[in-house]
Amino acid sequence: MKIWKLLGLAALVTAAATALLTTTTASAGGKEQSQTLVWWHNVTQGPGVKLYKDIAAEFQKQHPGITIKAVPLQNEQFKTKIPIALQSDSPPDVFQSWGGGGLVDQQKAGKVADLTKYVKPWIKSIGGTAAGWQVNGKQYAVPYSVGVVGFWYNKQLFKQAGIASAPKTWPQFLAAVAKLKQAGITPIAIGSKDEWPDAFYWDYLATKLCSKPVMQSSAVTYNFGNPCWTRAGDYLQRLLDAGPFQNGFLATPAQQGASSSAGLVANGKAAMELQGHWNPGVMQALTPENKVPSFLGWFPFPNVPGSKAIPGSLLGGGDGYACSWKAPQPACAQFLAYIDSPSVQRRVGSTGFGLPVRRGTENSVKDPNLRTVLKFRSTSPFIQLYLDQAYSAEIGQALNGAIAKQFAGKATPAQVVAEIQSAAKRK
Amino acid sequence: MFLAPAVALYVIFLIVPVVQAVRYSTYDWNGLGALSDFVGLDNYREAFGDPAFRQAMEHNGILVALSLVFQLPLALGVALLLDRRMRGRGLLRVIFFAPYVLSEAITAVIFLQLLQPDGLVDEVLRGMGLGALVQLWLADLNLVFYTLFVVITWKYIGFAIILFLAGLQGVPDELHEAAAMDGASSWQSLRLVTLPLLGPTIRIWAFLTIIGSIQLFDIVWIMTLGGPAGASSTMATYMVDQGVNSYRIGYATSVAVILFAVCFVFSILYQLFVLRRDVRGGTTRMAG
Amino acid sequence: MSRAQSRAGSTAPFANVPVYVVALLLTVIVLVPIGFVVLGGFRTTGQIAADPVGLPDPWVRHNYVSVLTSSAFWRQLGNSMIVAAIATGLVVSVSAMAAYPLSRMQFRGREALFVFFTFGLLFPVAVAALPLYLLLRQLGLLESLLGVALPEAAFAIPITIIILRPFMRAIPAELEDAAAMDGCGRFGFFLLVLVPLSQPALVTVTILSVITSWNNFILPLLVLTDPSKWTLPLGVAQYSSEHSADTAAILAFTTLSMVPALLFFLAAQRRIVGGLSGAVKG
Repeated sequence: MKIWKLLGLAALVTAAATALLTTTTASAGGKEQSQTLVWWHNVTQGPGVKLYKDIAAEFQKQHPGITIKAVPLQNEQFKTKIPIALQSDSPPDVFQSWGGGGLVDQQKAGKVADLTKYVKPWIKSIGGTAAGWQVNGKQYAVPYSVGVVGFWYNKQLFKQAGIASAPKTWPQFLAAVAKLKQAGITPIAIGSKDEWPDAFYWDYLATKLCSKPVMQSSAVTYNFGNPCWTRAGDYLQRLLDAGPFQNGFLATPAQQGASSSAGLVANGKAAMELQGHWNPGVMQALTPENKVPSFLGWFPFPNVPGSKAIPGSLLGGGDGYACSWKAPQPACAQFLAYIDSPSVQRRVGSTGFGLPVRRGTENSVKDPNLRTVLKFRSTSPFIQLYLDQAYSAEIGQALNGAIAKQFAGKATPAQVVAEIQSAAKRK
Repeated sequence: MFLAPAVALYVIFLIVPVVQAVRYSTYDWNGLGALSDFVGLDNYREAFGDPAFRQAMEHNGILVALSLVFQLPLALGVALLLDRRMRGRGLLRVIFFAPYVLSEAITAVIFLQLLQPDGLVDEVLRGMGLGALVQLWLADLNLVFYTLFVVITWKYIGFAIILFLAGLQGVPDELHEAAAMDGASSWQSLRLVTLPLLGPTIRIWAFLTIIGSIQLFDIVWIMTLGGPAGASSTMATYMVDQGVNSYRIGYATSVAVILFAVCFVFSILYQLFVLRRDVRGGTTRMAG
Repeated sequence: MSRAQSRAGSTAPFANVPVYVVALLLTVIVLVPIGFVVLGGFRTTGQIAADPVGLPDPWVRHNYVSVLTSSAFWRQLGNSMIVAAIATGLVVSVSAMAAYPLSRMQFRGREALFVFFTFGLLFPVAVAALPLYLLLRQLGLLESLLGVALPEAAFAIPITIIILRPFMRAIPAELEDAAAMDGCGRFGFFLLVLVPLSQPALVTVTILSVITSWNNFILPLLVLTDPSKWTLPLGVAQYSSEHSADTAAILAFTTLSMVPALLFFLAAQRRIVGGLSGAVKG
């Protein structure tokens, strides 16, 4: 009987050994000359797909010793796979980074490379956007597309409802919502199933009601005692009470399929949506003609009269790339530099893929709405990173969940703040 | 020995990771850095104190109750009705079992499409003149969990029907004839002959169903993410949400251990009290 | 006891018509969702948006054709098959070998060992995910189909043993004595008597294992990043996000990924019921 025990174990060992052999030979990079950069990105659809293929090909041509291995991953899979991959000994070399608290966590765990000295020659050319991807003043990742959140709206439907021009103040905004409802038009589409679209509203009202120091310190002290936080929820409640959303909004996704909130606006079934700069690209894919609707306009989130915030403060964020602590340098930094090079940045703008960060490439953006967004981004006195990204993941998730409860009618403004505070206290 | 390979495979790829997971549950860990923040049983205390987790547990409990109360009579009734020589019986078996073969992910995708506002379900209801019954199946906080229950039933009822049909085949005709000769009505025959003999089958089905209800994840996650606002959460979706979205690996694994403990305790109790009489006696007939 | 069907069905005095009505109703409820997906693939997304309930008009082939001609689909199909084959082969052979002593031999701790094996049923895979990933990395099994198949097999052991044990137990002791008298060792008895006689159960667990492996999502998601190694469920998820606007294309892809599992089930369905009924007795 011992024989079978031995045979069984032998089989297992053989299998493991075979696997080991096949994987090691596959990944054996070879000599110093040829380096490989494994690039995990989240561009699986839209105009970026071709752009990314070009970027990899061009970079490899310019740097014959470096091979780029691009791995496109669905956005939601990133959240699962990145922490696991960073935990192992062979993480991807280049990977998507949204900056803020998430990057801070990664830096604290020593998982991302300090790029400061590599990017010094050119980092100023992307201006103030670099700040969101720094930790303690050092550059740990580099953004390539940064935008601000605003209202994407249907100019024709607004005209139909008798709204002369886009609202600039909060009271004007509420009045516009009322007019749309009267005209039988769904005022606002929202993808509450995903929860983060809900957070945009609360985050924005906080940004418009709380002073800049209060906002900035919250990401450090995690103290939400200031009454402006509760007031943000109160203002939000006034909007919620007006019933501005589409039927069944609690189960509507933000971007998937024609019945998503983006799809509703794209197909003329709702008048506006509060979303980021990626929205035209998303909408384009959801129309039968695969074109950005011609009726589309954009206006920034209205200011709240009499608040302590600087008028024109905006909520925004963007995409960037980080190098893992194991990535070959300076190869990895060179790749990031290439993504932020004028040639690539101009194409980021012209394909409608994103809003370039590099100064001097703003004209590449063709879409008039995106040019407006870019203009507001460049001239805004203060841009607050979306809160679920500015704070560490744990608190950011609790924040989104609490706000979602208010949207579902299950939490009061005070309860929302309390929940965020208790999640922060746990840290 | 014969046992060696199974034990080796099982221990390496199941037991070891599970034990590791238990170890993680005693730390506050975001999955990134070193395991440094030992918190002992704090994660467990927090879980039981969190209203969101309690809500999820409640949902699992409701699911267990609903499954037993609705699926059992339904499947049993259908199995009894179909347990006769009839044309197409084989075909029916295939049809009813088909949903079970589909992955939960595919089922979820299908029903997501059907349950959209003004989707297939709504259209059919309106077409039948039942338009007043149309609801926001997935968006209504009070309804969403029951909608999911209907989807789950669709997927698993066929399995129950087939199982019970198989069990019914083990009840010999002679017993029915004897009962009839003793003057028993068909209802009495059902109650006093069929059901008791079907006992073992029913008990095994209940066991598998209860465990499945406690661990429910895929369908809920894909259709509603446990929402809106936690209205359709289960312990498993709560666990994954904490681990994947909030990066609270230590906390999430403590929820997993609680899940395991619940299943474990239930399983022990069930085997001790309910299944005991079925297991006694080693030799059984081989059914055809 | 002969192995022929012991019952043909009751002769209860229920009228036949209601029975057929019930059967028809249930069939409709079961088939309509599936039918919607299958037929949806033959329409364009525009058709579906305009009229969710209607039949294809006109019948459009390009959704199905584009999936069937995409190399990614076939590669994923192949990967799924390889994984299912390895996992099933492993779990059935290993569990059968383990079920033999657990059902027919007496030794101390036998019941305890059996209960130990059933623990696996109670733990969802998602939980062991992170430690499993680290373990696989240590063994060099990441990005390999073997790295998916081995844990799948391990997690399938409990249910397989649970189904096999009562079957093996039911085989008369006399056969064992007869084999011994013929000079057959334990292994001989196992291979030449036990295994052939347990065929219905073995087929059942094979089918269940194949279906479970085929539909597994979380494990391949963790282990396989390289798209060329993906299994079908990963492909479906990727496809539906890449083409999220094109409902018809998603329905076509979903249908085609259901087909292998359904075909396999059709071929083997009679065995499942036979196997289940035996397991249930034990």
